[in-house]
Amino acid sequence: MEQSGTSTLLQGAVQDLASGVVSALRGGDHTRSVLPAGTDGEAGDLALAAVRVLGSDALLPALLLRTPPDPAEVAVFRKAVEAYPPRADAAPTVRWSHWGMARTLRRVDPSVTAGPPDEPGTGWLDEAGWQTLTHQLAVLAPLALPGEDCAVSRLAGCHPVDVARGFVRAVRRRDWRQAAGAGRWLTLLPAVPDTVGLASGLDFVELMGGQDPLVALHVQAARLMRSGARV
Amino acid sequence: MTAPDDTGDIRQVAEDALAWVDTRRAGFALGEDALAVDGEVDSSWKPLGELAQVCATVAHHTASFDPLHARARALLDFAWQETDGGELLRRLQRLEPFATYPLEVYAALASAGFRHPAFEEAAAVVARTRGWRLTEQDPTRRLGVLRAEERCGIHRPGQAPHMLTRTWLGGLSEPWTFERDAGYALTHVVFHLTDWGRDADGLPPDLVTYLADWLPPWLDTCLEAGMWDLSGELLAVAAIVARRTGDPVPRDAWRTIRAARRPSGEVPLQDRDPAPADPVDAEVPDDGRYFLHHYHSTLMAAFAAVLTSARPAGPPAGTGARHRHGGQGAPA
Repeated sequence: MEQSGTSTLLQGAVQDLASGVVSALRGGDHTRSVLPAGTDGEAGDLALAAVRVLGSDALLPALLLRTPPDPAEVAVFRKAVEAYPPRADAAPTVRWSHWGMARTLRRVDPSVTAGPPDEPGTGWLDEAGWQTLTHQLAVLAPLALPGEDCAVSRLAGCHPVDVARGFVRAVRRRDWRQAAGAGRWLTLLPAVPDTVGLASGLDFVELMGGQDPLVALHVQAARLMRSGARV
Repeated sequence: MTAPDDTGDIRQVAEDALAWVDTRRAGFALGEDALAVDGEVDSSWKPLGELAQVCATVAHHTASFDPLHARARALLDFAWQETDGGELLRRLQRLEPFATYPLEVYAALASAGFRHPAFEEAAAVVARTRGWRLTEQDPTRRLGVLRAEERCGIHRPGQAPHMLTRTWLGGLSEPWTFERDAGYALTHVVFHLTDWGRDADGLPPDLVTYLADWLPPWLDTCLEAGMWDLSGELLAVAAIVARRTGDPVPRDAWRTIRAARRPSGEVPLQDRDPAPADPVDAEVPDDGRYFLHHYHSTLMAAFAAVLTSARPAGPPAGTGARHRHGGQGAPA
């Protein structure tokens, strides 16, 4: 979950973008733009890269609050999708993240006429233990959206106890990003043991790690989904 | 009992651990201050009681012809002799009639068949008082005293369920609130409810489900933190729960415990405890500090290893908390 290998500047841009998403989610409406308007020059490259890192969650307010996004935001989002296609040797999480962005773009941009992209597959998780499974799902938390089916969400749906164990492990290890991402998935999964105490668990994760906008984003998304938000 | 497939390496942990304990009998011996009013209970009666408790379990779960059984029985004989056939416990009881630890030590020895009728008669008289029954203790310790009373023929039906709901485990605490102290409390609740692993049916079904669900992340994080002592206790709980669920042996966890052992088979309390001065020399060191940093975790490793390797082969009939989760249960 650490953004290792990315520059401090990019990390800052991602944090700023995530803060904007959290603010919009908390505000309950989407009256102001979250994504940057201009994408020209170096600053624009940085902004596009930040959108690519955040993935579909860059447009999460539009998805969860069911408000049409600003066309300028959609244009930036589309530019990020097109600017950063996964390389041939990209990790499965990178492929899935890009796939999730393409799915979101189709939802918010009527001008996209291409068919749905092929799903990348989940073979890399076939033999994964619950620790690795939870870590990878947390990385792919932007795919955790109500009513949005894909192979990753179906896989997660087969492992509610494993993901719940991963949530417990992440809290124990003070890995708040992983805990928040796992908690977001748990809001969608069937047959999660009641004893996990998810509502108070999300509050605790926010209390301990909520100063990180990426943590706050997943916690807020989870709360909205628990309250019945649909995409 | 028949061993599940391929638990020989785990049983070896118990053999090595008790072999180390056997060479450190002096550490368990009661000192001159065993009956002193201001004696250090934690370094005298407590280790002896824990030795007796673990060896009683080992003896119970091994056949009489098994060398491990013989070693456990020999250590139990040693422990009983240290109490002068229970007489020191009787004298201790006269000095501190309302202290509960003499009864708890006695109960461990009594579970292995050693009895001292005069001690039990005296304990029964004291236990009839309101003062004894209202001794202020945390609920987990109280469950232990109730178990000890049962072992001595003092019956107080209906008390344990009331106490259980006031424990961290019995209240089904959120599993992510697990910390070190909660861990030690929950393992001991399980030990008290199941008579130290003799009766897995002593665990209520909701606790079986709860423990089966959450033991893996607790164990994983304790092992990662090098908390070998608590990890041993959790492995013992896992073995008890598995008798009800049929869950597989957590082999990765056992591999980690095996790797954490010192050359003579002893297990440190935690990762940061000092290794012997010369790791090549299995005879070093023999000081009290080294003993105190190794004896309990070594006993717990033996306890957990015997409970694991003596598990009935195959899944239990008609139960299985895990089964409701379908194909889940990734390796712990």
